[in-house]
Amino acid sequence: MKFELQKGSRSRILAIGLLAIAAIFVVRLFYLQVIQYSHYVAQAQAEQQKQFVIPAERGMIYAKNGDEPVRLVMNQSVYTVYADPQTVTDKDEIVEALKEVAGGNLVEGFADLLDAKESRYKILGTKLSRTQAELLKEKGFSGIGFQETSQRVYPEGTLAAQLLGYVDTENEGKYGLEGYLNDELSGVDGSLVAVTDVSEVPLTIGNKNVRIPEQDGKNVVLSIDRSVQSKVEQALKDAQKRTGAKEVSAMVMDPNSGKVLAMANYPTYDPEKYYEAKDVALFNNNVVSGTYEPGSTIKTFTMATGIEKNAVRPSDTFNNTDFIKIGDWTISNATRGITGTISFQTALEWSLNTGFVTIGQRLGNGTSITPAARQTMYDYYYNKFRLGQATGIELANEASGLVIAPDDQRSSEIRYANMTFGQGMEATMIQVASGFSALVNGGTYYQPTVIDGYMEDGEFKQNESPTPVATGIVQKSTSDTLKSMMIKARQSGFPGVDKSGYRIGGKTGTSQVSSPQGGYSDDESIASYVGFGGSDAPEYVIMVQVSGKDQIFQGARDALPIFTDISNWMLEYLKIQPKG
Amino acid sequence: MSYQQTSYYTSRRRQNWSRNQNTTRFVSSVKLGPVAHTVLVALMITVLGLIYLTQATRATGYDYEAQRIQSQISELNDEKADLEIENARLTALETIKDSSVAKEMTTPSSTEFAQP
Repeated sequence: MKFELQKGSRSRILAIGLLAIAAIFVVRLFYLQVIQYSHYVAQAQAEQQKQFVIPAERGMIYAKNGDEPVRLVMNQSVYTVYADPQTVTDKDEIVEALKEVAGGNLVEGFADLLDAKESRYKILGTKLSRTQAELLKEKGFSGIGFQETSQRVYPEGTLAAQLLGYVDTENEGKYGLEGYLNDELSGVDGSLVAVTDVSEVPLTIGNKNVRIPEQDGKNVVLSIDRSVQSKVEQALKDAQKRTGAKEVSAMVMDPNSGKVLAMANYPTYDPEKYYEAKDVALFNNNVVSGTYEPGSTIKTFTMATGIEKNAVRPSDTFNNTDFIKIGDWTISNATRGITGTISFQTALEWSLNTGFVTIGQRLGNGTSITPAARQTMYDYYYNKFRLGQATGIELANEASGLVIAPDDQRSSEIRYANMTFGQGMEATMIQVASGFSALVNGGTYYQPTVIDGYMEDGEFKQNESPTPVATGIVQKSTSDTLKSMMIKARQSGFPGVDKSGYRIGGKTGTSQVSSPQGGYSDDESIASYVGFGGSDAPEYVIMVQVSGKDQIFQGARDALPIFTDISNWMLEYLKIQPKG
Repeated sequence: MSYQQTSYYTSRRRQNWSRNQNTTRFVSSVKLGPVAHTVLVALMITVLGLIYLTQATRATGYDYEAQRIQSQISELNDEKADLEIENARLTALETIKDSSVAKEMTTPSSTEFAQP
């Protein structure tokens, strides 16, 4: 059989061939453009579109200077300089320029890092200022890059360090206000999804660009007055030198609003260089985080409870033998010799434990602290004065303390006898100061706060006046009686220490410290003082504590002078006029 | 005398005319072939493409301008922040305490208040 090509078959074959090729193209194009459409669109978008994070600026923190807000914590752009050793060409010049421009910010052995050719990223220096970074950028070195970050700066140095806390390298607030208000201060980062050019400059072409604006963090204005804070810190520094204490703490608050005017601990640290702190304990704010057995400062609360319940009046008397037996236990006075029939005013002045255990007994049947008396004490200590529970102040790591309830199996008469003079329970300084404020302001308990308002668009928006948490926790007459007792106690015990013409009162405390072996340690005690000052009404409450492991301190000797120093200064700073 | 006919007149009577129908029609003497048509269409598409490109390029140009201005704003904000920090440092209590003016100041021996 012989095949013959028909006339015109070549062109027909060519046509068929071309048609087939065209068909292949069409099929291939159909596959690429229709079937694989989504895949290639996604690939193209991935190539052309970039997602950028628009970082939110962390909120600034302000203190008060009188009524004016002043900056306490700010943000500053700083730069990390890094190298891609594989693309570095002129090493000597780079080393020379880095030394000249950013000597103090370079990491150790930075020059050797430029030779680490196996790596693509080596950090050469951190926290360069904008000017330093600009100077280096101008030189246009190959393989050298810059990364901008934000860091906290503290124009007032270490002022209120433990109250503020710090911000770590992950931009997370730690301790203090930074820790507590981290979310509020951080804000919310925004994002931009956009088509970019090769230099990653966002372009407005395309219809899939998305911009979610960032929300900057709130700018917080503290109730802390920087002058009061500075004075308190200086007073603590002086006291630390004088007493040799390992730790000294103090706070000042307005008893009529709960606003904290100052809160400090010494020794302290520099929040800008928090990583240089030798002991993490330095980050703790002892005023809110440190629980202790508050000791004799609690006698004011016991006295108030007794007066409220008509169990005792200041002029009432009892027989003091310097000892009192509670079951198998004997409680003794630290100060001895003021024996015989003495008034409760005298018991307060000499801080006699026996007098306050007697008040506990008179809350019961007169000879023992009955379950009913324990319930009354618990109701006042825990429910009214809010000892042994966190106050809710806007600071991280607030401790709650402990007041054993009467129905708790750990409750007993001896425990409640100890509680009448502040042992057998745990509280923080902020709890004692807040309860004490309610005691001297007429019976209104305010939640302590360190926040006075916010800065919005450069204007200070002050918070509304604080609403009391509870009113009438003691009667005004009880409050007045207590104040008179404390003023009298101070005047008789420490005459001449205060400026004349003012009403200054308070109570010392010398707390025993639990021993790890059980019982109380003979080698350690904590000194404290809580008091108020003002003209007609108390205008400030100051709480002081002096402590240290294996150190013995006394309230009158070690804590009271700090109170006096701050109090006399406060009278002038607040321009309180003397009466008479 | 000769003349060239450029238009044609068609008598109404020569067709099935009806009301509102033009009685004359223009017939161009320029005849375009299929190649010319294709070239014209291609040219029009090219022109439209160029117009699109011009607009797109202009928009991109605005993007670069916006980016440049944004960088300037950012730089000025950084400078402002630096100055504010400097201002805050210069007015900080520690700085004031260490100033020569403050060092010359003394604590008053007594304070008296004017009675209102």
